[in-house]
Amino acid sequence: MLSLVLILITAPFFVGIILKVKAKFAARKMPSILQPIYDVSRLFKKGAVYSTTTSIIFKIAPLVYFSSVVIAAFFIPIGSLKGVLSFNADFVYFAYLLAFGKFMMILAAMDTGSGFEGMGANREALYSMLIEPAFFILIVSLALFTENTSFYGLFKSLQISTNLSYILGLTAIYVLMYIAMIENSRSPVDDPNTHLELTMIHEVMVLDNSGFDLALIHVATWLKFSIYGALISNFIIQMEWPLYWQLGTYFLIQVAFAGVVGLLESFRARNKLGKNPQWIIMLSAIAIVLFLTTLIITKKIILY
Amino acid sequence: MTYLFIILYAITLIYFALSERTKKFIWLLAIQGLILFGVVFFSLNEIDIFDFIFILLETIIVKTMVVPWFLNKVRKHNQLKREHEPYVPVFYSIIVVILILMVSFLLSSYLNNGNMHTQYFTVAFTSIIFGGYFIIIHKNIFSNVVGYLIIENGIFLLSLAVGSVMPIMVNLAILLDIFMAVLILGLFINRVGDTFKSLKTEYLSKLKD
Repeated sequence: MLSLVLILITAPFFVGIILKVKAKFAARKMPSILQPIYDVSRLFKKGAVYSTTTSIIFKIAPLVYFSSVVIAAFFIPIGSLKGVLSFNADFVYFAYLLAFGKFMMILAAMDTGSGFEGMGANREALYSMLIEPAFFILIVSLALFTENTSFYGLFKSLQISTNLSYILGLTAIYVLMYIAMIENSRSPVDDPNTHLELTMIHEVMVLDNSGFDLALIHVATWLKFSIYGALISNFIIQMEWPLYWQLGTYFLIQVAFAGVVGLLESFRARNKLGKNPQWIIMLSAIAIVLFLTTLIITKKIILY
Repeated sequence: MTYLFIILYAITLIYFALSERTKKFIWLLAIQGLILFGVVFFSLNEIDIFDFIFILLETIIVKTMVVPWFLNKVRKHNQLKREHEPYVPVFYSIIVVILILMVSFLLSSYLNNGNMHTQYFTVAFTSIIFGGYFIIIHKNIFSNVVGYLIIENGIFLLSLAVGSVMPIMVNLAILLDIFMAVLILGLFINRVGDTFKSLKTEYLSKLKD
């Protein structure tokens, strides 16, 4: 239960830290770390405006998206703190919960009947489709290495095994970080600050959402970042550490993760749209290298 | 450590397939040189000390510094920034790398016996096949030299795979090969670049005496 609370606590500050880092490197005056929270609370007070062409799907989609992300957070352990729910092969459930939320958002975007939103939905679907193998191959190779299929068991036995887990862990962190960036429509693939509809991906999908619905979508994005940060922290936090030490490391890793995202956004140019698919499939390729190496390590392929 | 080097080397090959800028190719070659240095340092410890130091110096000086430096000079001379569109889209190239990797892992599992270090054979074989593929898909002479160097790195790894010993004569021959290839091809590239103002391979068919 505590792990869920921790994820919920860190989520609201994540985007604030990213904005602060970006402002710092652009030599602008830094906004308060609470600025995204003010923005969202203002949105929460407003009502939503619905277009007459939309149907019930458009109205429920933000709620479904938000709740699917919250339920996905139930499965994430942090160090020795177990997730609220945990069962064998829960990572499949986790991945498809996120995918389900995204699917509803895509349907809602198509529902508005706007050409721009259809285009955004198209791109979002393509990128989610390409990133899915990377996530699954990564987690499956970790599962193969540790012979555990739930998130908690997987990270638990990853730590007691040999030094080899560091090699796997480092590669896994690299891939997971970029998965998080793509899932949250961040820099190399998408740019949250763009003002041109033709180049938007995620933002263009939510153009018609307003007020309360838009606030829910923003909060879901924060939560997603926090969830991936928690996943990454599990590679580093050791279970035998005392609890306060684990918590300290967790917060430190979340701040560092937000900082790295901000850094990457400040210094990295955005990919050309046409080059995005090949860049995303590169992550799957790295995951496959990891998988093949795991096959040797676990002696499924015996090599001398 | 072996696994770390295998992963890193395979990742450099994937980045070779992904990148389109010539400067990145040179960086990746330097990184491959460093990885080979690590491989030699950690796994080649059954040979006598003179050979060991020689191979270490070869990897760190020739492969990591001299060759990339020279290639960079050639690149600057010809004002080469970006590779033209290769014959095969990058998306498919990455899939081809993955397929080559899988095939070579399966092949090394099949070839497995006590006399070979088949762990390095996996990436060595991938590197050789991928180098050939790299040469085929690029239109540029500069990239063809880079592909040749990828093959050369693969052969270096393969010679580690065949036995834990590396005869000094074989090594010297490979070294000479690299030097001659890079020097001669470098001069050749410069001449072609000066004559045609472009490095596309299709201009080569216009070369007549």
